[in-house]
Amino acid sequence: MARRFRWLIPYLFLLPGGLWLLIFFVVPMLVMASVSLQEGTIGTGYQLTWNFAVYPQVIDDWSPQFVRSVIYALIVTLATLLIGFPIAYTIAFRGGRFKNILLLLVILPFFTAFIIRTLAWKLILADSGFVLGTAKDLGLLSPGFHVLATPLAVVSGLTYNFLPFMVLPVYVALEKIDPHLVEAATDLYASRTQAFLRVTLPLAMPGVFAGSLLVFIPAVGDFINAAILGSRDTTMIGNIIQRLFLNTNAYPEASALGFVLMAAVLVLVAIYARVVGARGLTTG
Amino acid sequence: MRGLSTNGLSMQLRRLLTLGVTLALVMSCGIAAQSPSLEPTAAPTEGPTSEPTAQPTQGPTGEPTEEPTQGPTDAPTPPPSPAGQLDFANWPLYIDIDEDTGGYPTLEQFESDAGIDVNYVEAINDNEEFFGRILPDLAAGRSTGWDIIVMTDWMIERLIRLGYLQELDHSMLSNFQSNAEEFFADAWYDPGNRYSLPWQSGIVGIGYNPTLTGREITSFDDLLDPEFAGRVGMFSEMRDTMSLALLSIGVVPEEATIEDVEAAQAKLLEAAERGQFRAFYGNDYYDALAVGDVALTMAWSGDVSQMKLYDNPDVEFVVPEDGGMLFVDSMAIPKNAEHPVDAHMMMDYWYDLEAATTLTEYIGYFSPVDGVRDLILQHSEEARAEGDTEWADQLLVIADTSYPSEDQLENVYIYKILSEQEERIWNDLFNEVFSG
Repeated sequence: MARRFRWLIPYLFLLPGGLWLLIFFVVPMLVMASVSLQEGTIGTGYQLTWNFAVYPQVIDDWSPQFVRSVIYALIVTLATLLIGFPIAYTIAFRGGRFKNILLLLVILPFFTAFIIRTLAWKLILADSGFVLGTAKDLGLLSPGFHVLATPLAVVSGLTYNFLPFMVLPVYVALEKIDPHLVEAATDLYASRTQAFLRVTLPLAMPGVFAGSLLVFIPAVGDFINAAILGSRDTTMIGNIIQRLFLNTNAYPEASALGFVLMAAVLVLVAIYARVVGARGLTTG
Repeated sequence: MRGLSTNGLSMQLRRLLTLGVTLALVMSCGIAAQSPSLEPTAAPTEGPTSEPTAQPTQGPTGEPTEEPTQGPTDAPTPPPSPAGQLDFANWPLYIDIDEDTGGYPTLEQFESDAGIDVNYVEAINDNEEFFGRILPDLAAGRSTGWDIIVMTDWMIERLIRLGYLQELDHSMLSNFQSNAEEFFADAWYDPGNRYSLPWQSGIVGIGYNPTLTGREITSFDDLLDPEFAGRVGMFSEMRDTMSLALLSIGVVPEEATIEDVEAAQAKLLEAAERGQFRAFYGNDYYDALAVGDVALTMAWSGDVSQMKLYDNPDVEFVVPEDGGMLFVDSMAIPKNAEHPVDAHMMMDYWYDLEAATTLTEYIGYFSPVDGVRDLILQHSEEARAEGDTEWADQLLVIADTSYPSEDQLENVYIYKILSEQEERIWNDLFNEVFSG
């Protein structure tokens, strides 16, 4: 091949991925940015007026829901970590012959649609369903007690739905740890707890980091759990964006909110990456 | 600046190129936003004899339809042939269902009579939500995928105003001409019924379970009673909730000013913030009331009639003493629908007396068809003669609710037609109540 065109080859390799990114990410982002700066209504059409004032306006209007979504997502990330880490640890170190089956069991709920799983939780947590109803019949709970339409239901639903996203990356990270390292640590007079804290956990950090991102980012924008399992007081920013977009047809505000959400998530993730330490991501 | 890089293009040139491409993309978005695609089509100016089809429909047999006659003559044209297929979007619980087979008897009757395959989907839970879903297609001039949609009167008015509905060809709607009940024959939201035919009508009121509330419920203020905190349902449909709230402060919705709306909103917000409402529902309030998640909720009259018969015999429906809202849900054909001829045939079928009676017997709403009540009473007598007294009694109850009573008609109001600015203000105020 002519020397002159050699430099082109890497770009050609990048072309499919680059095109995909361009068409399905960059262009929609630009369109959304453009829509957020427009003003108008369905009847009169929309005009690009570079209305930057929409950003402080939506932050002002919907900051309680923003903060609530971030808090819920943080709780969910922590919960999935606390529940998912032991699961991943057990599968990685004690799984033995059953590793694949156990992993399959973790992923199995994903064979059904997200909404169906959430609706299943609505049935399970129903006021007079087989869980609460039985407890109420036995006199363990007062008749007016309900879990649905509370933040607990929403957070539980989110935790359940995003648990595999935490389990799998942590499992992958733990799987790569050479068991001899732990053995060496105990040989050097470390207790089992110390060996865990000083050998296993730091080596698992890349998995924890990846899992946290995979849980936090979708959870903060989720609207299905809040819609099905929640009430007015658990409204998340995803519900607001959906309502503004579909019901109120306030496209500029909804697009602006989307961008603000994206920016907030980017900032939080950047802070988190700093705290965890960039080195923690790349240990092999 | 050629010496700066080893590649063919210089660094500066590449930077300029990237900047140029980015700017071009942003500009193109701005231009796209000002394109006519998001502006409403002009109000339809078709003449009275024009056919509703704008394009020939090809059925599975491959027969092309006749070309529409454009012209002032009244010469009868041969009716266009149907495509044999139909996509019908409707609300839940709005058609008769055979409990055993899960099929829809009236639809199946129509399918066998007319030879048209009907794809009936309960795709509508909320007027604005559904409108938001079909808006992109309508604005772009594409088919929405639906041939018939059932929307509430005020939404029909909005769709007509935006030019998103196909004008109906009344020469194909003979049943409507002969059988429509006078009260529903000329719609306030669609004069002359040029774009829509009433499907069923009902009242927005309050549904409640006396065993759970412990007392009779009579007014909207009962919904705000702290005694029922956390066990009350409201509608996510802004117009329903705000209109009932307006009535509860003594304002007729049609005459409401912005100050009135703000006062009504303040009342709702105060209750919402102290946790009075369990949730803001769409049609899913039905399950909540049936299983007892809510003791009392805003409700639609026919749903509660159905619930009494099939799901929870304890529930009652009441029109609030300050007033309820009368709504008329209507069938309409969205612009650029793919099977308009079949849509016309289906719409006319619902004004056949037998079909309308079967429908009303099941769903319990007000029927826009003349003679339905008498036929239901006749069915009741026949059932009693056959010894099925339970069904005969139920039919008597349904016959009563097949048409609004005098008392009800005196105490119900219609929705206010909102301009886009007003709608925006109402929506913003309601969104504050709707989300905590």
